[in-house]
Amino acid sequence: MTKSVKIALGALIAAVILCCGALLLPRKSGTVARITHNGVVIHEIDLEKEHTQRYLEIVAGDGTVLNCISVEPGRIRVEHANCPDQVCVNQGWIRDSALPIVCLPNKLMIEIIGGGEAADAITT
Amino acid sequence: MPSPHNSPVRRLTRAALLTAIALTIFMAEAQIPPPIPIPGVKLGLANIITVYAMYILGPGDTLMILVSRIFLGSVFSGQMMTLLYSLGGGLCCFAAMLVLRRLLDENHLWLASPLSAVFHNLGQILVAAAVMHTWVVISYLPYLVLSGICSGLFTGLCAQMLIRHLNKI
Repeated sequence: MTKSVKIALGALIAAVILCCGALLLPRKSGTVARITHNGVVIHEIDLEKEHTQRYLEIVAGDGTVLNCISVEPGRIRVEHANCPDQVCVNQGWIRDSALPIVCLPNKLMIEIIGGGEAADAITT
Repeated sequence: MPSPHNSPVRRLTRAALLTAIALTIFMAEAQIPPPIPIPGVKLGLANIITVYAMYILGPGDTLMILVSRIFLGSVFSGQMMTLLYSLGGGLCCFAAMLVLRRLLDENHLWLASPLSAVFHNLGQILVAAAVMHTWVVISYLPYLVLSGICSGLFTGLCAQMLIRHLNKI
């Protein structure tokens, strides 16, 4: 093994260890879901205070429905998306801060943030 | 007079052929449902061609093949938004490969390819962070890098075998 092969192999193993470490980090428990569209926060919902299932629609400037978000007590997911890849729909329900739902084509993001006393719904 | 092995026509034909092969692989792969529902996670089999071209044809031709494949792939799959992410990732990966091809010979493609894949993921995340105006997307990086290393190992091994067998011809 030459020196550069050793360095490359070391860098690769370091990357794997770093990533595994990042995945094992403690997850923030929180109940407030923040929905961001085009970089603007459009809703902040405390999932603990939800009692029934309800739907939120994300509508583009020209009136097309981009995503339909389903909110339930303690969890949130994307129900429908108008994009072809449907990655955000397949991700299913989220209930902690581990991995936010991101819809790249529609620039939509749903993340669970800490704290339980957010404003019930900020709507712009 | 350019020799018949290096004439511009031969070079262009070879680049066009490889672009067509890469595009075919890309479109066939797009029909496979994503294995994990995380945006950006995919096999990236078309990068076998990128890695092969980088080591056999050199950086100039590789850049042409890579950019044409990404552009045509986005047009054919009908998702122009993915053009940005693929281009960001692809160019980062290309820059990493420029350095790696000087450090690692063609018997170590299995090592060069996953390392370039990591840079591909970094590029994707940077573009995503810029488009979404948030750094939260960084939490996707560990997933992307781990899956990128796995698929990078696979595409690197494929490219290495490809070179070994094509050298016999």
